[in-house]
Amino acid sequence: MLSKSAARTFFLVGTAACGLAFVLLTLDTFRQIPGQTREENLTEAAIRGKHLFDQSNCMGCHTILGEGAYYAPELTRVYERRGPEFIAAMLRDPEAMYPGQRRMQQYDFTEEEIADLVAFLEWVNGMDLNGFPPAPPLAAAAGTTAQATVADGRPAVFNQMCVACHAVGGRGGAVGPALDGIATRFDRDYFTRWLADPAAIRPGTTMPKLPLSDQHIAELSDYLASLEN
Amino acid sequence: MKYESQRIAYWFFATCMLLFSLQIVYGFIMGFAHAGMDGLHDFIPFHTARATHTNLLVMWNLAGFMGAAYYIIPEECEREIYWPTLAKIQLGALVIVGVTAIVGFHVGWFEGRKFLEIPRPLDFLVVIDVLLFIANIAMTIWKGKRITTTSSVLFFGLLMAALLYLPGMIPTDNQTEDSYWRWWVVHLWVEGVWELIMGGILAFLLIKLTGIDREIIEKWLYIIVGLTFLSGILGTGHHYYYIGTPKYWLWIGGLFSALEPLAFLGMAIYGITMAKRGGRKHPNRTALAWTVGTCVMSFVGAGFLGFAHTLPQVNMYTHGTLVTAMHGHMAFWGAYAMLVLAIITYAMPLLTGRKLYDTPSATFAFWTSNIGMIAMTLAFAVAGVTQVVLERRMGMEFLAVQTEIEVHFWGLILAASLFTLGVIAFIYNFVRHGLPKGEIERSSATEEKEPDESPALEAAPGAAE
Ligand code: HEM
Ligand code: HEM
Ligand SMILES: [Fe+2]
Repeated sequence: MLSKSAARTFFLVGTAACGLAFVLLTLDTFRQIPGQTREENLTEAAIRGKHLFDQSNCMGCHTILGEGAYYAPELTRVYERRGPEFIAAMLRDPEAMYPGQRRMQQYDFTEEEIADLVAFLEWVNGMDLNGFPPAPPLAAAAGTTAQATVADGRPAVFNQMCVACHAVGGRGGAVGPALDGIATRFDRDYFTRWLADPAAIRPGTTMPKLPLSDQHIAELSDYLASLEN
Repeated sequence: MKYESQRIAYWFFATCMLLFSLQIVYGFIMGFAHAGMDGLHDFIPFHTARATHTNLLVMWNLAGFMGAAYYIIPEECEREIYWPTLAKIQLGALVIVGVTAIVGFHVGWFEGRKFLEIPRPLDFLVVIDVLLFIANIAMTIWKGKRITTTSSVLFFGLLMAALLYLPGMIPTDNQTEDSYWRWWVVHLWVEGVWELIMGGILAFLLIKLTGIDREIIEKWLYIIVGLTFLSGILGTGHHYYYIGTPKYWLWIGGLFSALEPLAFLGMAIYGITMAKRGGRKHPNRTALAWTVGTCVMSFVGAGFLGFAHTLPQVNMYTHGTLVTAMHGHMAFWGAYAMLVLAIITYAMPLLTGRKLYDTPSATFAFWTSNIGMIAMTLAFAVAGVTQVVLERRMGMEFLAVQTEIEVHFWGLILAASLFTLGVIAFIYNFVRHGLPKGEIERSSATEEKEPDESPALEAAPGAAE
């Protein structure tokens, strides 16, 4: 049977060998990180954004690169998923986008700070993460938004902003009403006015005024007017 | 208790009880927030509660390790603590830094990296404080009559834990590098050097409680910590799959981290075998229950539930979901919280001189807290797996999924209430023991004669080296 000194040798040699391998791999990893994280795009603004992200303890609710808390959405690809206007609107007023839902802290950021945070998220969005986050493999079977594409006739901005609260064809959020058949109740002109400022048409509505360009509003109005059933 | 200065351990243990209670309060705040009741949002937002919950956990675990060391090292080295006053100052300083950090979290003072939320100036104070502690232990061992394997492993674990705090302080602007170093602290602590501390404390407890020959226990100690490092160091790679680091981590991390449960399995087998073989000579049965419980529950929480999401194919979908929280709870509880509670249960009757051993409330504390924690883990598991399926596999919106799983947080709150009952019973027992006024046993004392003091061993301290 193994003696105590043999056991000690096993411990010392194993630890030394693995420790050495780990240090060498670390050196190689640091050689590769700049390329894989597109460090050339890491602007001054993005760096300021990163430190602001830390000081605000954003990881205390969100995950980024899959690390953090599980109370609020993953932010690694949020730049692509929601777009810069949506993010900025959330940071200005946390209750802007999901009224009556789980709340984010009101941080009172300045416009520069918001731009820095968006720049940081834009940089993170561009990293090569070995395939994370994965495309949902069951989306087709489940018929969720993730599967929806522009080919469905949905404008890109609809998939970024509107689906956060509304569903079409059972795909999308459940905060606001589903929009199937909405064209039978309102016309295109109404959609245009509604999107420009919901509260002006129906005071007290929980739907926020979204950060949409005229171009976006036009696209969305066309799309909504096509939803006849 | 054989040495005057061992009494200091009591104050560390009392600190543990206090911080642990507070930790649970913040757990409930988060549980309710997840269940849709965020009434405290304007005063204690979720992220403040979370930083407080996890930092209190780490703080009371560390305080427990320090208390354990102040209790164990004098007995292992057969001398008083080298600087007993420093030990008290060092505890006071730790508490002051801790309180500052916690108050800071409530007014928005963060460094904001998960588990390393305390701001940089406080980091330095923590390091200084821990180094003072290490120096005190080192001097005690150095000047002691014998150097045992148990005390060396414990010391090496504590020293490495202090040193591994440093990589977390390396400044960087790159999120990936930041995360890379963060894992040197978080992973290399819980799946590396803390396991040495665990091995050391468990070896001490098993020697005392089962009376098995020190040589045998310490041989297994080497094998277990050998396995820990063999798998755990390169196993760090299981956190480097998807954070912007090279692809080779997928197989290196996958392979080595898949071996990590072996160390925990070894610990479980060793604990159970030693407890069986040793007979039940020691009257403190509850302490033995906590000791063997640690061996078993750490295997379930860290070994089994860790393995469940460690392969890259699985981790791709579970990474950063409530599945991680499920594993985090059971692993921290089984390995480190229970370990600290085990040494407290063992030491309290000796420190205070009140031999309350296995009263019904002590037995109740053990079973209720463990059953409660198993139920909490199940609640997190159901919530986590549902989240993975709906969000990661089907692509549902995050908030829609959270609404779906709200109900499981009511389950969590129920389970946590049961758990809390057990913890209250534990603290009640702690308080009932009173202050550390136990008598110093001279070696002639027979009643409390520890089983390991067989003449054969005392005669051959060199062999124990
Ligand atoms: C006592 C030992 C352990 C403790 C206390 C522990 C605790 C934790 C904690 C708190 C986290 C979350 C960390 C963070 O996100 O910052 C975590 C993550 C993780 N643990 Fe452990 N763990 C232990 C052992 C293990 C073992 C032995 C394995 C594998 C066999 C393992 C596999 C993992 C994995 C894969 C993750 C990452 C989860 C993700 O991608 O989100 N753990 N652990
Ligand atoms: C009443 C008891 C408790 C409740 C209700 C509770 C609840 C929670 C909640 C809701 C979270 C946050 C999950 C998220 O980010 O969304 C959390 C995190 C955590 N808790 Fe607890 N907890 C309790 C006790 C404990 C205990 C006793 C331990 C350790 C022994 C512990 C260790 C942790 C750890 C390590 C994390 C971080 C997990 C991760 O990031 O993956 N908790 N807890
Ligand atoms: Fe790990």
